[in-house]
Amino acid sequence: MLSFSFGRTALVGGILIAITCSLMSFFIIVRRLAFAGMGISHAAFGGVAIGIAAGVNPIVTAGAFCVAVAGGIGWFSRKGKLHEDTIIGILFSASMAMGVVLIAVAKAYNQDLLSYLFGSILAVSWTDVIILGVMAALAVGFMVFFFKELLFFSFDEETAMASGVPVRFVYYGLLVTIALTIVVSIKLVGIILVSALIVIPGATGLQLSRNYRTVIVYSMVTGVLSVILGLQLSFSFNVASGATIVLVMFALFLIAVGVSPRRTYMQTLLARLRGPAAVAPDESMPATADAGLAEPDAGTPGD
Amino acid sequence: MSKKSLKMHACKVGEYFDSTGDGDRTLIDLDHVYVELGGQPVLQDITFTLNDRMFLGVIGPNGAGKTTLLRVILGLVKPVSGTVCVMGMQPNELKGELHHIGYVPQSVYFDQIFPVSVYDVVMMGRICCIGRFRFAKKADKEAVMDSIRIVGLEGLEKRLIGELSGGQQKRVFLARALCRETRILLLDEPTSGLDIPAQQQFMDLLTDLKERLGLSVVFVSHDVNVLAQHADEMVCINRSMHLHGKPGDVVGSERLQEAYRCEFDFLVGPGAHHDHDAGRG
Repeated sequence: MLSFSFGRTALVGGILIAITCSLMSFFIIVRRLAFAGMGISHAAFGGVAIGIAAGVNPIVTAGAFCVAVAGGIGWFSRKGKLHEDTIIGILFSASMAMGVVLIAVAKAYNQDLLSYLFGSILAVSWTDVIILGVMAALAVGFMVFFFKELLFFSFDEETAMASGVPVRFVYYGLLVTIALTIVVSIKLVGIILVSALIVIPGATGLQLSRNYRTVIVYSMVTGVLSVILGLQLSFSFNVASGATIVLVMFALFLIAVGVSPRRTYMQTLLARLRGPAAVAPDESMPATADAGLAEPDAGTPGD
Repeated sequence: MSKKSLKMHACKVGEYFDSTGDGDRTLIDLDHVYVELGGQPVLQDITFTLNDRMFLGVIGPNGAGKTTLLRVILGLVKPVSGTVCVMGMQPNELKGELHHIGYVPQSVYFDQIFPVSVYDVVMMGRICCIGRFRFAKKADKEAVMDSIRIVGLEGLEKRLIGELSGGQQKRVFLARALCRETRILLLDEPTSGLDIPAQQQFMDLLTDLKERLGLSVVFVSHDVNVLAQHADEMVCINRSMHLHGKPGDVVGSERLQEAYRCEFDFLVGPGAHHDHDAGRG
């Protein structure tokens, strides 16, 4: 794969996308924004169609359009006018419908459109990689610099607000970051599959750990490994790169579910491997979600 | 009172810092506060003060506007009219002083598998001490561990928050509110959902901490009994002020029944009866 120039650009671009999406995936999972991510990614079709119909770079129009959709989702849900999932459902389907109509009017059903829908490894150039790098730096920078604010906001929004966290900025910032990351990822995996990149790594990490730091590490490993393996397999078997990456990611997720220390059989196995002296569950990975806990002092309340 | 008859007043800036003598300083001062949500009046003519090291109990039935009252003090809801002064400032000017205020919300609807430990949750309380674009330092970590220790959760700091019992989670949120330089503690029904022994233990812990740390407490609850035993003063609201006074006066007042719209014995328990009348309404 690395002997081809386009293979190298795809790999570098893919790893940049994987790192960005995997870090974002953690917040998408804990903040339950998976549907928002899916909605924004599918809305990108409308933005791409505007670009194709108007003869402008579709990535530019998709970027602007996705940011507008993300802002619309945020505005409607924050104002309490509509539930978040309702407005996502409306904007996502309306955007796709608009895209279909525009494509039909512009008579632009072609290979180029398909590459936006399903991704095309050949479409990734070094210019795209540079744009990806800048976007990745912005997105990762936002998440790193506002990490504690994002974590507090995701866990307990009201108390975060009462503690001076700029909740509105953080919320819209996260949505806009999701939108821009999705747009720059479209070339690699396509509109249809990009939502997998921002959901599966975080979900995989959550299966393997209950500490957010290691959840993020596992999430990133899942993302990067999926891109490397997926690209190699797509080269080897001459199949679509985006779909292969997503399938590898899904396989890693299934493995994580299978070997998750949350599973009772894994707890038993780990206890046996540690020997009789270490039957007690690991502190970093408590045995079960509903495990009873010793109270800190006698008679301490329990529900 | 109609909102047109009310005026906005500015806080006397510096009042808090210029005052001297513990117990005399006014930390929170609400004067004829009128609040609307969605065009509907939620709080009308609310007037009371919280002095240094005072335990103020705010009681009222469900839907009385108690949580909104705390949100007004925190600056999360802006009153239509009236004055709200917290440490001599309007709530929206408190940015640099938020580390003096600890807040324990009524409920935190978090995912039980949210991957944060007790330590991580308490560290969230240090956010206004750490500052933006900075990471936690040794002093922050020590403050977190101290808070975990004083609420009796030492040894559980690595546990996932979702694995703790309801009573333990309440303690974690109390520790989070205390791990800053807390002077004012605002608690929104922190004992709701706990059984009676758990409520009693939480209240004993709170009373002890209030004395040890010199806190001023605003405790919101619909449970008259819980607060009557611990509060220095009580305020009864149901959209508007019904009572304000010493616990004995409030509990013994017929106006308490008006506020709750039910019989006295249902509020304070059968057999308990007081002949005192109200404080000021």
